Amino acid sequence: MARYLLLRLLDLVPTVFLVLTLVFIAMRILPGDPALAALGANADGGQLEAFRERMGLNDPLWLQYVHFLWDAVRLDFGNSLMSNIPISTLIANNLPHTVYLTIVSVALGLFIGIPLGLYAATQRNKLPDNALRIYSLIGYSVPDFYLGAILLIVFSLNLGWFPINGAGEGFWDGLHHIFLPALSLALLKSAFLGRLTRTSLLEVLGRDYVRTARAKGAREGRVIFRHGLRNAMLPLSTGIGISILATLSGAVAIELVFNRPGIGRLLISAIQERDYPVIQAGVMMFATFVVLVNLLMDIVYIFIDPRIRMKS
Amino acid sequence: MSDRLLDIRDLSVEFGPVARPLRVVDRVSFSIDAGKTLGIVGESGSGKSMTALSVLRLVPEPPARISGQILFDGRDLLKVPRRNMPAIRGKDIGMIFQEPMASLNPLMSIGDQIAEAIMLHESMSADRRRERVLDLLRLVGLPDPEGRLGAYPDQFSGGMRQRVMAAIAMACNPRLLIADEPTTALDVTIQAQVLEMMLDIRRRFNSAILLITHDLGVVAEVCERVVVMYAGKVVEDADVGSLFANALHPYTQGLLRSVPSLTDTRKRLYQIPGSVPPARTIKAGCPFRPRCPARMDRCAVEMPPLVPYAPGHRAACWAVSKEMAE
Repeated sequence: MARYLLLRLLDLVPTVFLVLTLVFIAMRILPGDPALAALGANADGGQLEAFRERMGLNDPLWLQYVHFLWDAVRLDFGNSLMSNIPISTLIANNLPHTVYLTIVSVALGLFIGIPLGLYAATQRNKLPDNALRIYSLIGYSVPDFYLGAILLIVFSLNLGWFPINGAGEGFWDGLHHIFLPALSLALLKSAFLGRLTRTSLLEVLGRDYVRTARAKGAREGRVIFRHGLRNAMLPLSTGIGISILATLSGAVAIELVFNRPGIGRLLISAIQERDYPVIQAGVMMFATFVVLVNLLMDIVYIFIDPRIRMKS
Repeated sequence: MSDRLLDIRDLSVEFGPVARPLRVVDRVSFSIDAGKTLGIVGESGSGKSMTALSVLRLVPEPPARISGQILFDGRDLLKVPRRNMPAIRGKDIGMIFQEPMASLNPLMSIGDQIAEAIMLHESMSADRRRERVLDLLRLVGLPDPEGRLGAYPDQFSGGMRQRVMAAIAMACNPRLLIADEPTTALDVTIQAQVLEMMLDIRRRFNSAILLITHDLGVVAEVCERVVVMYAGKVVEDADVGSLFANALHPYTQGLLRSVPSLTDTRKRLYQIPGSVPPARTIKAGCPFRPRCPARMDRCAVEMPPLVPYAPGHRAACWAVSKEMAE
């Protein structure tokens, strides 16, 4: 098992390397001069040249690439061009908020989605099942930033039940601040996970081993949870992984709508200000996040499925 | 008869609209005595599995509609409230299914799956339950039971899984064991072992066995009585000896002729022409008529009743009744 995990971790190296290379190439292809962007239109030729020399932009491309990789390995992303704050500090300040938003919204999505899916599966083609179908349709169709804006207007601005922006201080205040943003992201998640729970569970409940469980004398509750849901967890955990990853794109918009700190908002403002090193670091953070979530899912599979455990 | 364990009377299973129902089991009646084995023979689609599943009420209702009587030890299982059925399943009636590959939960160790069957009906300490599971695994002849408690179905061969299935079915010493094609998915040597194991279990516990199969060789080996089903109907039932010596129904005769012979291998195997008609297409009359070598005009109009021609030997065929009358 430890060996399997180690191998999976080693698998990540080429992926991260590829991402780094793509980021490097993208940054060199992007239109615009980083020196000009950093120093502004008023800088004279000498200043620009001095900047390029200092940042190593005059080095041959391969040498820039080697420097870039070496810095990335040491997690040294340099400083922001705009604020001159070390990027590692920016990330350390913003990343926890995005991770927190991801956890809370996925948890909400699970708490809403899985019971809905379970109930719909047991009431197949009856009212609850059709209700879930409509709920999912709405969940898929309403964009999260739109829902976020509506929630913000209704519950924060008009009713004043929730704070309007920021992330809050301390646990309870933080929870108070994160509720609406997380809920905005959770609608789609619960719609997706609800449908997935229903489909996976119905598929599993039709299997022969579920009939065996009934023939043993297991009651419906036990059949559904012990034999059904546990087996449905295999496709479901993949869905949860997808749902976690989807939070990234959702967080970009939601952090803007609710004016919350986070990697998404950091990245958006960096793009607006052509703050190349920050964009570079932000894209890498996202890529690393994707890769780590995939690894996490692989670990979850091992715990759920003895067949994978055996092979490793 | 006092030792009549299972007595099925006029069992019908229908699907589809009430006005135009699809009858997959049509007024089936037969009975099994304690300690005896009854075989139900027929092609795929003859309704034999559906009959077996009905006994445990494992056919989802709705969509199915089940009528008739299933008297188990004098009690009509069709009148037992649905929520009380789990107490009977696995305890009084155990079932072995056709596909050992798919019938075990891939995420549970086999030890846990057998233990669950015990735990659902009998309370005992975990240690005693473990002992019982080991006893069951020994009973079904699984080598190295201690070492295999924690194993998962994927680590087992088909024959070994079928033994595990049997251990689950026998976990609470049921008085009736239903085996739905328990040997179909297995190779021949393993088939013989599984059948031997079932007979051994029957001897020990005096249980009755309802064996569903399309293999007449298996029937000859382990059954006392046979019910032959075709398109949801019983077309013949008899003691094994009498059936093999003197099959009455043309369908049974056809089945017997299509069993390969060990002595004459040059002959091309007999084949009943055509195939079982889909339930939807069956109109009035005998469903076997289109394939029957002995068909008469009457067969198209009226389904022949199941009537006795010898003690304990009944058949449903106009040709047979005409022949007997002559």
